[in-house]
Amino acid sequence: MILAEITGNLASAFGLLGAAIGVGLIGTKAAEAVGRNPGASGKILVQAIIGMALAEGLGVLALFLAK
Amino acid sequence: MFRAKKLVLALVSLATALPAAAAEGEVVSAKAVELVDFGGGWAITNSMATGWAVSALIISLILIATGRPKLIPSKGQAVFESLIEGLRGLLEPIVGKHAFPAVFPLLITFFVFILIQNWMGLMPGVGTIGYGHDVDGHFHMLRPLIRPFTADFNGTIALALISFGAWLIIIFKYAGPKLILFDLFGNKADKKETPAVLYIVLSIVFILVGCIEVFSICIRPFTLSVRLFGNIFGGENLLHGTSFFFVFYFMELLVGLIQATVFTLLSSVYIGLICNHGDEHEQVDENNHAEAHH
Repeated sequence: MILAEITGNLASAFGLLGAAIGVGLIGTKAAEAVGRNPGASGKILVQAIIGMALAEGLGVLALFLAK
Repeated sequence: MFRAKKLVLALVSLATALPAAAAEGEVVSAKAVELVDFGGGWAITNSMATGWAVSALIISLILIATGRPKLIPSKGQAVFESLIEGLRGLLEPIVGKHAFPAVFPLLITFFVFILIQNWMGLMPGVGTIGYGHDVDGHFHMLRPLIRPFTADFNGTIALALISFGAWLIIIFKYAGPKLILFDLFGNKADKKETPAVLYIVLSIVFILVGCIEVFSICIRPFTLSVRLFGNIFGGENLLHGTSFFFVFYFMELLVGLIQATVFTLLSSVYIGLICNHGDEHEQVDENNHAEAHH
């Protein structure tokens, strides 16, 4: 029995899934860190944004370069 | 239990509404439609026209709202002053005091421009006024006259290239080639505290890390533009695909704000990464001197 048909580029889909998980993890940890130390929110924001950009960059590469 | 049932019901009703559009695959074409064709690849597309119109709108809005800046601000001037003050508080620690006066006009322009362009894509009529034909009794839009600027890849590439070019100019002006090379490839370990063998190994490691860093810098314009384009174009597709289901408008308002913030923040972080620790070095040196005096 086929429940649903999966079409499209699976390689880029998994790459983007990884990037999404990475961005989500960074977001949760950044929110936790701000909760623990609200005074450092500016520094945490910068680190989180850099981390998210790196993770998302790989996702974008997977989206466009995966064959 | 009741809530779960309600959620399932909502999902089912949404799922039944979606397939009609989802079956066609991509609802909005990723390619902008040419309004005026000059030949030889030169043309005015609908995204460009919308971008120009919205730019004119932003300029005239700000000119009308602020007029001649006064010491006691009028209402319009107060709005823009509070916007600028808020952004200054957010961005100044990231970019660093040294380069901030040169960078701030660029960053605030990015923020306002992208934000208004994103939100203008949600106006009624965008993507729905134009030429098309009927397919099985449903109107199928082929050549929309208006299309959001940031939903066109060319537009976001232009923004990202401006950001990258400005980044290059600013880091060379405010950090200099020596500091840039040290920042990318230099050994940041303390020479007095690390053994000589370890120091040489660390130098090689830092050079390798620098190569990876240079690669990640080279793909920055690409990732910047794709991030903005993907979010706004995806939002357009979502709205068209769900026949302009109103809940998604609130989500798109949020996405437009977040993407404008992310673009501005990333531009400032990229500049701050190279230009900002000049101050810290000076501070550390001062501390060392102070300790030495003690």
